Amino acid sequence: MAETKYDRGSALSIFKSDRAEDLVALAIALGLAFLVVAFIGS
Amino acid sequence: MVYTKKTPMTFILGVIMLVYGLTVRSGVLDALLKQSGQIKNSDEMIYMALTAGVIGIVVGLWQMIGSAGEGQMDYYLSTVGGALFILFVAFFVKWWFAPEIKVFSKYVGKIDWMGGKYFHKIFGLNYIVLGIITGILIVNTTGVPKWAENGVRLSRLGLKSGVILLGTLYSFAELTKLLGVSIVLIGIFVLGSVWMVLWLGSRKKIPNSMAGVLSAGMGVCGVSATVAAAPVVVAKSTEIAYTIGTILLWGVFMMFLFPLIGNALELSYAQFGAWAGTGILNSAQVAGAALSYQPDGIETLKVAEVFNITRVLFLPIIVLWLAIWYVKRESTGEKVDIGKVIIGKFPLFVLGFIILFALASTGIFYPANHYKGKYFDNTKVKESKMMTDAQVAKLKSEVDKVEDLDHKGAMSRLIENRKVMSEKDDAHIRTLVLKKKVLSKDVRKILKKAHKAVRHTSKRVKKFRQLIVWFFAFGLIGLGMQITFSSIKQAGGQPLVIGTIVGTIKAAASLAVIYFLTDFAFLS
Repeated sequence: MAETKYDRGSALSIFKSDRAEDLVALAIALGLAFLVVAFIGS
Repeated sequence: MVYTKKTPMTFILGVIMLVYGLTVRSGVLDALLKQSGQIKNSDEMIYMALTAGVIGIVVGLWQMIGSAGEGQMDYYLSTVGGALFILFVAFFVKWWFAPEIKVFSKYVGKIDWMGGKYFHKIFGLNYIVLGIITGILIVNTTGVPKWAENGVRLSRLGLKSGVILLGTLYSFAELTKLLGVSIVLIGIFVLGSVWMVLWLGSRKKIPNSMAGVLSAGMGVCGVSATVAAAPVVVAKSTEIAYTIGTILLWGVFMMFLFPLIGNALELSYAQFGAWAGTGILNSAQVAGAALSYQPDGIETLKVAEVFNITRVLFLPIIVLWLAIWYVKRESTGEKVDIGKVIIGKFPLFVLGFIILFALASTGIFYPANHYKGKYFDNTKVKESKMMTDAQVAKLKSEVDKVEDLDHKGAMSRLIENRKVMSEKDDAHIRTLVLKKKVLSKDVRKILKKAHKAVRHTSKRVKKFRQLIVWFFAFGLIGLGMQITFSSIKQAGGQPLVIGTIVGTIKAAASLAVIYFLTDFAFLS
């Protein structure tokens, strides 16, 4: 997939920067961790 | 630019997934699932397939009927088709392809000339390897469909989320099992390997991104380290896959070679465990080599696993190092501000790994002393799980057959208290369960029951593992879909050569150190 196909993000990511992608990954992981703690017994 | 494609494919994928989920729920596939050992995953199949199916149908209908204009909604919703495409392949690989390979491998039987192991174990034909291969096959044969291309770019997000969640599986309690000397030893070999790959990489003139990602994989441990280091050195998908391939291939040979050398040098179990945990890179292959060296006990495996875990804890240091190294290598003469690099380049998702590791260490998710989701607690043993008088009598009749004083002591305390009394005793009991030549089948069965009574599985660990597996499956299949044969050819053979040189030096040097440091018994 060529870089020029997308006017946003890159060939490897839909996000405009690594930081933005990291933040979304962090939000997903922390959100899931919270859900696991909230709904699943230890 | 409008990203949404007018295609029925997202809708069709949604319908297929929904139908699959409903079919599993109806029980029609039970016989097949039992045959492949996947019946235990039927709940997972139902909720994942139904959820993905509903999303696919809703978004697919909008893609077909709605009129997409340029904007956020168009951009992000256009990724759903690609995400479902990867997920569809992931369902196939994880629930059908990998299990059927395992069934076939067991049907073929253990291969004598390959050390008496199943071929799927030797070649590590699990969902990780098969997922990447499937992705590569798709892109190089039919190609990724146009409507899925935008969504395939979500794969790195999946990998990053997986690495962050990986932090939940480790804790400081694991570190307390190590003494200073072991941490120093592992640190030297991890940092030494990274340095050596970077040095050789610059001499052989391979791209900085390739050298960077290969150094993390060769130094720390395989897939997770490779994924974690990739963004800071701006690695291409091909370079990531190349690194994973090199590590796995290296591990296959070492799984055979390590036990042969260990036996020739008459290494103790603890010595061999330390060596395998340092010299072999992939966790499953470390376990394979340890079990092959000591099939009737767990001392080797325990030491190997402790060494293996410790390597993962060096991950943030390596990522930081590579971030600085990469910026320095790519800069054209100007002075590099290290503070700025750390703030600007250190990936937040590795910080996320550290945050979840710290949270796991507090015991917020599960008892901090767990290992692989299981933890020791003899206060929770129910009366029904305590040993009966008849079982105690049976153990008493055979306790004198045990010669090892530690093992005998653990068994005597078990007889006295009707339950396993400490984590150390539990390790001795687990070893006794494997002593077929010493104890009768009935006694070993009683010991196994006593061991199970004090080992508890955390449901949360199970859930975290499940999430990590899916994020990695999603990410690696998507990664495979970005790798063309021409890009592999372009990477050339140099990385494989460098990986082999560094791996050999690391294995030989760690063997030399461990051979002269005989006192690793504190870990067993």
